[in-house]
Parts: sequence; structure tokens; C-alpha cells
Amino acid sequence: MLETRGLVKVYPGPVTALNGIDLDVPSGMFGLLGANGAGKSTFMKILAGLLEPTSGTATLDGENILESPETLWPRLGYLPQEFGFYPHLNGETMLDHLLTLKGVHAPQGRKRLVAELLERVNLSFAAKRSLKGYSGGMRQRLGIAQALAGNPRLIIVDEPTAGLDPEERLRFYRLLSELAVDRIVLLSTHIVEDVAVLCPRFAVIRAGRLVTVTSPGEARASIAGHIYEGVVNVEDLPRLRGERIVTQAILVEGKDRARIYDPSGSPPDGFAPAPVTLEDAYLVLMRLGALPARGRRGVSQVPPAGGAEAALASASTEAGTTS
Amino acid sequence: MSFRRLAASFGIEFKHTFRRPLFFFLAVILILSAWGLSSGKMSISSGDSSVGGTKAWITSEFAQTQMMTFIILLYYAFFIAKAAGLMLLRDHETQVDVLLHSTPLTPREYVWGRFLAVTGGFVVLMLFQVAVNAFFNHVVPNPSAQDIRGPFLLRSYLVPVLTIGLPFLVFFTGLSMVLGERTRNAVMVFVLPVATLLVCGFFLWTWSPSWLDLRVNKLFQVIDPAGYRWLNETLLKVDRGVDYYNKHAVPYDALFWLNRAWLLILGIAGVLLTERAVAQSLRGAVISKRQAKSRGVAPAAGILAPEPAHGAPLAGLGMTGRQPGFLSSVATVARTELRELLRQPGLYIFIPLILVQVLGNSLLAVGAFDTPVLLTPGTSAVQIANQVILLVLLLLLFYTVESLERERTTGLSQILYATPCRTAAFLAGKAVANSVVALVVLAASLVASWIALLVQHTVPFSFAPYALIWGLLLIPTFLFWTAFVTAIYAAVGNRYASYGIALSALIYTGFRTLTREISWAGNWPLWGRALRWSDLGFFETDRLALVLNRVMVLGGAVFFVALAVKLFERRGADAVRTIHRLAPRTLGAAALRLGGFALVPLAAWTVLVFQVTNGLEGGVFKKETKDYWAKNLKTWLDAPLPDIARVDVAVTVDPKRHALRSAGTFTLVNGLDSTLAQIPLTGGLDWNHLKWTMDGKAYEPEDRKHLFVFTPERPLAKGDSVVIGWKWDGFLPRGITKNGGNTDEFVLPSGVVLTGFEPSFLPVIGFMEGVGETKDNKTEARKYPRDYWKGITRAGYGATAWFPARVAITGPAEYTLNGPGVCTSNTVKGGLRTQVWETDHPIKILNIVCGKWKTKQGHGTTIYYDPAHPYNVEEMSSTLDAARHWYSEWFLPYPWRELKLSEFPALAGYAQGFGTNITFSENMGFLTKNDAKTDATFLVTAHEAAHQWWGNILTPANGPNGDFLSEGMAHFSTLLLFEKVKGARGRMEFAKGIESRYGDRRRVDDERPMYDIDGKRESDETVMYDRGGWVFWMLYDFMGHDRALAGLQRFIRTWSESRDHPALQDFVASMRPYARDPVAYDAFVKEWFEDRAMPEYRVTGAKKEKRAQGYDVTLTVRNTGTGRMPVEIAATSGERWAKPSKEPSYRESREGIVLGAGESKALTIHCSFSPDKVVVDPDVRVLQLNRKQATVSL
Repeated sequence: MLETRGLVKVYPGPVTALNGIDLDVPSGMFGLLGANGAGKSTFMKILAGLLEPTSGTATLDGENILESPETLWPRLGYLPQEFGFYPHLNGETMLDHLLTLKGVHAPQGRKRLVAELLERVNLSFAAKRSLKGYSGGMRQRLGIAQALAGNPRLIIVDEPTAGLDPEERLRFYRLLSELAVDRIVLLSTHIVEDVAVLCPRFAVIRAGRLVTVTSPGEARASIAGHIYEGVVNVEDLPRLRGERIVTQAILVEGKDRARIYDPSGSPPDGFAPAPVTLEDAYLVLMRLGALPARGRRGVSQVPPAGGAEAALASASTEAGTTS
Repeated sequence: MSFRRLAASFGIEFKHTFRRPLFFFLAVILILSAWGLSSGKMSISSGDSSVGGTKAWITSEFAQTQMMTFIILLYYAFFIAKAAGLMLLRDHETQVDVLLHSTPLTPREYVWGRFLAVTGGFVVLMLFQVAVNAFFNHVVPNPSAQDIRGPFLLRSYLVPVLTIGLPFLVFFTGLSMVLGERTRNAVMVFVLPVATLLVCGFFLWTWSPSWLDLRVNKLFQVIDPAGYRWLNETLLKVDRGVDYYNKHAVPYDALFWLNRAWLLILGIAGVLLTERAVAQSLRGAVISKRQAKSRGVAPAAGILAPEPAHGAPLAGLGMTGRQPGFLSSVATVARTELRELLRQPGLYIFIPLILVQVLGNSLLAVGAFDTPVLLTPGTSAVQIANQVILLVLLLLLFYTVESLERERTTGLSQILYATPCRTAAFLAGKAVANSVVALVVLAASLVASWIALLVQHTVPFSFAPYALIWGLLLIPTFLFWTAFVTAIYAAVGNRYASYGIALSALIYTGFRTLTREISWAGNWPLWGRALRWSDLGFFETDRLALVLNRVMVLGGAVFFVALAVKLFERRGADAVRTIHRLAPRTLGAAALRLGGFALVPLAAWTVLVFQVTNGLEGGVFKKETKDYWAKNLKTWLDAPLPDIARVDVAVTVDPKRHALRSAGTFTLVNGLDSTLAQIPLTGGLDWNHLKWTMDGKAYEPEDRKHLFVFTPERPLAKGDSVVIGWKWDGFLPRGITKNGGNTDEFVLPSGVVLTGFEPSFLPVIGFMEGVGETKDNKTEARKYPRDYWKGITRAGYGATAWFPARVAITGPAEYTLNGPGVCTSNTVKGGLRTQVWETDHPIKILNIVCGKWKTKQGHGTTIYYDPAHPYNVEEMSSTLDAARHWYSEWFLPYPWRELKLSEFPALAGYAQGFGTNITFSENMGFLTKNDAKTDATFLVTAHEAAHQWWGNILTPANGPNGDFLSEGMAHFSTLLLFEKVKGARGRMEFAKGIESRYGDRRRVDDERPMYDIDGKRESDETVMYDRGGWVFWMLYDFMGHDRALAGLQRFIRTWSESRDHPALQDFVASMRPYARDPVAYDAFVKEWFEDRAMPEYRVTGAKKEKRAQGYDVTLTVRNTGTGRMPVEIAATSGERWAKPSKEPSYRESREGIVLGAGESKALTIHCSFSPDKVVVDPDVRVLQLNRKQATVSL
């Protein structure tokens, strides 16, 4: 169990990046959603031992990880949001270097392990290639490989699917899910779909505060039946935004195809009920500051076991219908 | 080009310049430097150094220009390289360039805007420097600097900025930019300032032997980017007088402007190349298929990555993770760092640079009388140590900082710092890899030294000295520096601030070294003279100091390692928590924890400070000598003294313990007409258990701070005598030096040198003038009246009268123990040898020298030399034989049976010609290098041998110009011996050498006529030796061989037996009767002895015309100097000194003229051949300035 209490981070300015985060994260996948600049990466860096908080505590299985981050690092797999490699090494050498520094061992030897990991992230073909010649996606995959290596108790991945094509995203989801069975995987993203697919539970951070901790199902249920979809003229959209919560507006052939949240049950003309997505729930949450009363929960524990895998299994289907 | 966009590019960088930590560091350095230099630590060598004499102003345009040439390279170069070289790289690392170049901003606007911003920023700094210099020089009061401050003239400060500073700035900025852009490598950027510093500091600025071709010299002046060589060679080397330097503007000539022009051209070219490089990188580099294959790039588009296999679950891989071992982490980090390091081109560029630099310095090193030095492995290792240290320190700085910065710039820090690898292991791994840099430099230097020894083809190579000096002694310095730089980076977390702090520390240490303020306690890089090597025994005087210093440095390295590990920020610190951590209690606790690491270096430092203070150059010694001076100067200076009638002394030396014991007696007799009531003797500061006797009875003299005053029962009338005895024991040297200075006398395992000049084994009769004088209490030398030489004058040194002596020396049996006279007894008992020396003819001063030697017997001569130095012994022996024979014939038969010459370790770099017992430092004669032009071994041997006559047999007067009869005559004797043994060429080459030395070292305003030279001014030495030797030779040449020698024989015979001692006036008077033309003789004496005649000839309009029979050469010769001398002009063809194997082709035709000051004469020389050159004074018979310019090609 990963527990944080009253985590605060104030940068000189002053800029309050985190304003007292209390969070319990059990084993399994756990998502962290929030807009850019919400404080997700700051939170991740503090947990990874790369940033000192202003105040607050964090424990992993009862052990304080903020006082002595060096006790955490042997048990940590970390994929930061922004990172790089030594440009003149090749992928194989770089990964081997990092695995050595992480103290990773395997029965088949580290060289074989490196090859296996590269294969898992689909980089075998570029193992001998200089990192200078890697694309952004290839670098991301190599980062994933080093984050997953070893036997980490806590895996923190910050925006892991940036730069990955859809096929690679799925591959990555599978890898993460494998690991999430008996360890804590904290996934920070602003891509709602990733959370929907992978995480049985997730938290939302907004302006440094924890807004809610819930599950995808609960979130969707809280606005179920209140999402409508229709077409409006471009000049009418502003008025619509003023009257209702618009969760999506896409310009198609000169008209806005909009989705709105209307709990009154009286949507505007031309709007019909639409299936609720997690994205709708997230946007409603961000506008209202909380999920509507129906289906909303407070701080809680216990995601269902195997929830992540079940979520993954349905994600393949949902990905085709919701994107 | 859009000027708006150019201005935008300029503006953003210009503003950033003033926020750079480096900028502020340089500003602080300039302030401190201005403050330090305002007291005159650096000034033009000109002017009258007497009290109240006109001094060279530090505020003159000349002085400011000279200062600027140093500062621009020593300070600005690194900072400019950093700012300009990394400017575009910074944009690339932060990926701002991608955004910038997606706008309409063109490469030209981008690059030129940046270039102008950097140069503009440094121009502001230069103007700041001007303001700060002017402030400290003209506003801040400094009473001791009143003599050296002239009136404020803005031009004096601004012109050097414009002529020296700006072109250099453009040059360095442009080249740094192109280097940074082309290589995209921070370390490569530093190749330029490091290479420039090495080449300029150790070659271009310092190497200018007299034989260097003028065209080559001019070429070097053109390529020197700082402009110092031009300034020195053209305007400073030959002193033009302090008035000139103080009041004139610097007269820039075509050569200077050519130098400036090429700097500007190269700088602008650098900017243009940068522009091109930027433009190319934007378009993307086009590479061949071969290059693509080698880089692993897919050779053709369209080939997809293979279908990935899904593989077994991750859990099936059985991975485990744990804290990696410390050593394995170190090894991993080191391996990866090495990979990066070895692909850096910088290292491979430095290797040939080092090779050339070290080789050049090794092969061109000079020693005594500017003679070339024979290298040995030990001397070579020490000689280039300062260069090697500087280079390694700079490289370690750059590589260490860039290595530490690499994780941040690549972005890997976010991953790597979250691994369980220990911080200490991480830092240690980097340090281990970067230490390869030091190893590469050392290896390259070793190879260069080996090549130098090979080329020299005399001394075999040996690895041991390099291992000792570079390995054992220098490696702690490198470890310390790496740890220090790492700690700095860990503390500030910023590459630029790290460079600023580290460079400041280096500059400060260098400044203290150059001003000789540094001591063992602060000399962490072992700069200056800390490393003094002797092949006979290494580091014997300062071994303790070296050990303590190295312990201090190693301890310091450990401390900085601990500090680095503590401060290195893997986790971004929180501002609020940081403030709490700075609370006194928390800070104190942290300091306590680190304090343990500081104990050892602090303890070593404390002991060193104590040792230096109590050592032979320390505060305690200075106080004791100052007390001696203060207590006795007024009472005992020039007090009447008795003669020594006899000396009996027994000295026991224990080289291993640096100990000696002395017991002996002086028999003193009053040779004066007046009575002597008291007799002063100066004793040594390090004499222990001292006991005196007088006439055989125990006696307690009055102790006046080591001047012991004896009062006989009855005052001594003329002819009365008294016997004073002593017994004491002590150590020599007492303690350590300040920072490896010379030790003139010593008792050490490598050798023993004791002389009667100092109270080292005997008391010195009377008060010793000069002891205890420092710059704070220095008085101007006594001004003697011109007729002081009339009447009885005392001896300049040694005893007034001859005395016999018996010296018994006891030491370890393996030593030979040499004293004066002949050895009448040589016994070995109980592992101790005792040699008794008795003078077969009286002497005037004693000395002892001991060593473990081999011998080379000559005819009445013996050379005692270390078995490791046989190289020049044959030449020395034959020269000593020739000197004994010919000087006996020319001056006076040698009165003693034996003439010995003994070698001692190079802890002191002198040679001294004591009667029968000459001593030579190993660097003189034994380790000189000879070639066809310069027979240095012959030179030094002949010179020192001549002192048997000029200095011993004839002792000059105590007063002005007396030393001419010692040193000047020794050089004159050497000229004669060269001619006799080596032929005319030998003499001519030697004469040209000392003439050039005189020209380089004389100071026009400080030089007095020969009659007034008293040896107290810095410029007196070259006058006594070089001008003196020349003038005596010209006099001999003028008088004719037979007449001159007849005069010399009479002179030496008359004065050697007299209680009176001769001055130069006595010599002149003595020689006059032998002159063929007394009127001409008087005129010569007036010009060369009483005045300061110094001809300088120029040839103009020289051309040859074919005639019916041969050629006519017409020319005009002008004497632009002073003095009136007959001089020959020769039109020549062919090589005068052709190799024996070649057919002699030299032909010449001569005419003689007489030219006074400012006079010129047109003449025609008729030749029966086609001449190719006109040479003034072809036989080198007239001392003149700038002889090379008096030769022109036809």
C-alpha cells in the first residue's frame, strides 16, 4: 500500500504545485488524471524520490519513502514524463547500463535479459543502433523497458504512451497489466482513455488538490443518462456553452457536433441521449469540481482483483467504439 | 537580412550575458586583479631602481598595453570560449533552436546576432576593466605606489582595449563559435583557450634565443594572438628608457597591424563558418549509404520493423532487483563514461599539442649564461611539470564538469537518479573515467620526453623519475582538483558557476605563485619551484614538506569527495526545507559530520604553516636576521677588523641526518696601524651547544643576536695576535624552504657544500652586510666617491691577507671530502673517513665540498663527478687543463699544486671558484648541451677556472666596480681561451652570445657607468659579466696581445700581494703605461669605463654594382647609438664557417671606418667576387646593440 498524507509542494514564486494530497493506492493499476499543470508530475517526482516535498509524508508498505528515498529506489520502476539517454550509446548498451545501476539480475544473465526486454518493447531491430538515431517513440519504448526491469514493488509511469502508435500502446498496456497483478502501478496521464482501459480506480488532481478518487464505472454511472449529443450552428455554440456543460464540440462540415451534460432531462432541440464515456465524466467533474451525487464516492480502497485485466479485455472493444 | 530580427537575436543573448554567473566571476577577477596590480606587481622593466629614481609607471599606455596582453589571454580567453562556444549548443540542448528556426529568422541573423551579443557583452566588461583599473590606479590611495603612478590619461587605458582587446575578442569569439557549432561538444570548445595558453605562455612569449632568425621572429610576432611577443620584441626587450615608456604612446607598426588584421579576419571567418554550419544543420546533413550503414540507419525507406514477437510473460523472466554493489556501480559508470570520453576528439587533439609543446620546451631549455641544458629524465620531468599540471588541471575541470552535466543535458538524470546506484559510486565512476584524461596527458608528455632524450642522444631514458614525480607527487593534485571541482558542481549545480569558481581558484593560485607569495601550505598544485630535482638525490631538503603537502592535498581530496557526495543533488531540494537546514543548529551538526573529513588536511596544513614559519625562509628566520641587522648595523658596519693569520678547523658531517659539527681556531692578527679593542665574529643561526675560547681559555663573548664580540684583555696593537676557538653542532639546512627556494649551502646525502661566505662551518669575521635586509628596511647602497679607490681599500670578499689553513673533514667512508690545498692525510676508521687538507700556498677564503664521486685526472687538475653525469667530463677536464696552462702563462703561474672541480646537487644553481677547490652545480657544465656554435661546457669551465686568478689570486676592492675584476675578467679570460683553444669562431660565438644577453637585460635608465657599478641594482649583473668581459677584451684588442698581457701580469703581480685591493680605476691606471697611444687609451677609457658608450649600427642603401673587374658595394653605415669606435665593414659571400667536408667558399672584402654617436658614412667596398651580404664588424670586435640588424643581404 502506498499512502500519502498532507503532501504539499510549494515552489519559489510562490507557486503551490500540491496543496495537501491524501491518497491511498493499493496493489494494482491506479490512474492519476489531471490537466497539464495540475501537479501530477510533481506528485510523481516526489514519490520517485527526485523532488523534496515542502511537507507531508508518504509510505510504501509502512516504510517512509520521503525521508530516505534511497530505500525506495531498489524497489522502484520509474518512467518520467521527460527524459533522455546518452546519444552515442546504442539501445542495448544503454539498457544494460541502467539495469546494472538498478541492480537487476536474471537467471539467464543480464545480456539475455536485455535482449528479452528489448524484444518485449519491440526494439530488437534497433538494439545496436545509436540512440541518436532513435525516434521519439523508440526512446519512449526503451524508457518503458528500463522502468519495467527488475522486480519493482512500485512502478510509476508518467505519461507513458506519449509518442507511441496505437499498436505500441496496446502492447504497453499488456505489459503493465502483467505487472500490476501483485504490485502498485501508478499511471499518470491526461489521456482519459488510458485510465478507462487500464485502471480499476483512479484519482483526479486539479490545481494541486485531489478532487476525487473513483472508478471508471462509478464515474460514468454518476452522469449516466444525462449526456446528449447533437448538432448546433457554430454561432450558437457559445450560447450553448453558457447554458449547459459542453463535454465535446467537434466542427464537422461547418457545424459543431456537440455533446452536453444536462441533468435536467430537457436537452435542447436536436439533442439525443448518447452513451456516457469516461471523458464525459471527467469533463463534467472538472467543470463542477466534483462528480454529481449519484454514483460518487469519497476516499476509498480496494479495487477488484483482476480488475485491470478485465478492464483491458474490454478496452480492446471499447477502443474501437469510443475513439 | 532583417535588422529587426538581427536585433532580436542580439538583444536576447545580450541580456542573457549579464545574467551569466561566468560574467560576474570574471568581473570579480578583474576587480581583484586591478587591486593587486595597482601596487606595481607587474610593471615594465625599466627605470631607475634607486630611491627617488624615476620608475616605470603602471598607468602609462605601455604598461596598460603590456597588462592587457596578459589579461586577455590568462583571464578572458576561457570565459569567451565558454560564452561563445556553448552559446549555440545551449540552444540546441534546450531544443529552443528547433523553434527559433521554424520562424523567419535566418541563420545569418541568428549567428550574427549572437556573435554581436557576446562581443558586446565582453566589450562592456573591458570598459568595466578600464574603469576599475583607473579607479585603483588613480583614486584609491596607496603611498607605496606613488612612484609608479603617472597622471590619468584616458587614452592610456582605452587604446589597449581597442588595439589588443577587441581584435582578440573578435578572433576568439568567432573561432569558439565555429568550434562549438561544428563539434556540438562542450569539451572541444576548450581546446582553443588551452592550446593558445600553452603555445603562447610556454613558447611564443618566452622563446627568443639570440640565434633566432629575424624573419622567424617576425613570423612569431604576427601569429601571437595576444600581441605580447610583438610588444616585447619590438619595444620592451631592448630598454628604451623609462621616460619613453612613461610618456609616449605605443608606436604600432605594420607588423602589429598585420597581426591584428589576421585576428580579425580569422574571427570573422569563424562567424561565417558558423553561419554556414547552422544553415547546413537546418537542412539536415546528407550522408552516403556507407555512412548510413555504419550508423545503423535503414539504408532505404519502406522497410518496416519486423513483426514483434509477444514472448513469455514478464514474470517468466525471473528478474530480481537489489542495491548494486559499490564497486560494480563504479565500474559501470566508469565504463560508460570512458566510452563517451574516448569518442571525444578533444583528447586526440591535445595529444599532438602536448607532444609539440613538451618536445619544444625540452629541447630548447636554457641554463646558466643562457647555455642550452642537457636533459636528464629527472630534470625533464620537473621542467615540464608546471605545464603538465596546468594542462591536466584545465582538462580535468572541463571534462569533470561536462561529465557531471551530461545527465542533465541529455535528460537521463530523471531516470538515472531514481536508480539505487549510490551517489558516491556514481561520482567515483565519473572521476575514475575522467582520470584517464590525466593519464593520457601524462602518457603523451612521457612520450615527448622520451623523444626529446632520444633526439638529444646522450642521456638514457629512465622511467623512475617520471613515476616518482608525475605519478606519486602529481596524482594527489589531480585527485584533489577533481574532488574539488565535483564538490563545486554539487554545491552550485550549474556548469557556468562551476567554471567560474574553479577558474577563479586556479587564477588565484597562479597569481600567488607568480608573485612568490605562495608557500607549501597553499601550494596544492606544486607550482613554482616546489619540485626541484637533482639526479644526485631527490627532494632532500623539502622531503618533509612534500610529504605533508601531499597528505594535506590527499586529505583535502577526501574531504571534497565527502562534501560532493553530501551536496550532490539527486533530489531537487525544497526551498522552505533548505532554509530550515541553514539553521545554525542543523548547519552545525552537518559541519560536525563533515568535519571529521577535514581533520587530516587541516592538521597537515597547520603543521606545514608551522614548519614554513620556522624554516629557513620563514618568519622566525626573518626575525632573527632582522634583529641581527637592527642591533649591529650602526655599530659594526665597516668596523676595523683583524687579519686571519691561520685557520685550523675540524668539521664532521653526517649527511643522512643533515648534521655537522665544527671545532676550530682562528689566529687573528691586527694588521692595521690603529689598535683593535674588540673583534666581531658572525656565527650561524643554527649553531647549537656553542662554546668559545680565547687564547685557549673558555670565553663568553657578548652575543649581539649572533654577532659575537670578543674583547681581548689588552687592545691589540699592530702585529698583536689572538686565537679564538669555537665548537658547535647543528643542522644545515635548518627546516624547510617556503616553497622550494634555493638552498645555497647544505649537508645532505646527495652532497655537502659549505663556504666561508656564510657562517656555515666557520664564523665570518665582522658584520655581514645585507643579512636581515628586506624590502621594508632596505636601504640604498652606499654611494662611494669616485676617488674611493685611492688609499687602502679592503677586500671585496674573503680575508684581507693571505693565510694558511688546515681543514680536517670527517664523514661517511663512501664520501670524498674535498677542502682547500692538498690532501695530506686520508684515513678510514670505523666507517668514517677523515681527510686532512693543508694549503701549500695561502688562500683568502675556505670551502668544503663532499660527494660520492668518480674522478677524472688531468694535468694538475682533477674533476670529481657523479657517476651518473659523465657526459661532459672529458671536455671539462681538457678545458680545466687548458685554463690552468694558459692562464698561468698569460696572467701569473698558478701558485697551488692542485686544482679541483667538484660537482654538487642542483639545489643551488651556481658555480664558485674557491682557491684550488672549484664547485659546480650539476646543472652547470656537467649537464650543459654543446653544439658547433655553443660550447657551453667550455664556457662555464673556463669562466670558473679564471676565478682562480681573478677573484682569488687577485681579490678586488670592497666598493663599486670591484666585481669587474672578478666577473668581467673571468668572461674576458674565457674569450681569450676560446680563441686559443677553439679558434676565432669559438670566441666570436661566445662574444655574440654575451653581447645579446647584455642587450636583452640592460636597463637604459638604471645602468650606470662601469666605474659606478656596485652590484646592487638588478641590471648590474649583466654589466659586470657581459659588458665587463667585452670591454676588457676590446681594451686588449686595442692595446695588442703582448702589451695587454704584459700589463695584466704586472697588475696581478702587484696587487695580489698587497693589503690594498684594486678597483677598476687601479686597473686602468695600471694598464695605461702599456698602451701604445696614451691619448687614445684615455679616450677609450673615458667612453667605456667612465661613460656608457653603446654603439648601434645600421646599414642603409646597400647595393652592388658590377664593374669591369668584380663588384662595387656601396652603402651607408650609421651609428645610431653612442661611442666612437673603429669598425670594419665586410662584403662577403659564402658560408664563413663551412662544415669541414664542404669546399670552403667564403670570400670577403673589408673596409674600416670610425663612427661616433649619430655619425654616418658612405663607403664603397671593392670586391673581386659577387658578394651576397654586408656585415658590420665581421670579426665581432666591437660591442654593439642589435648586431643582427647590422647585416643586410644584397
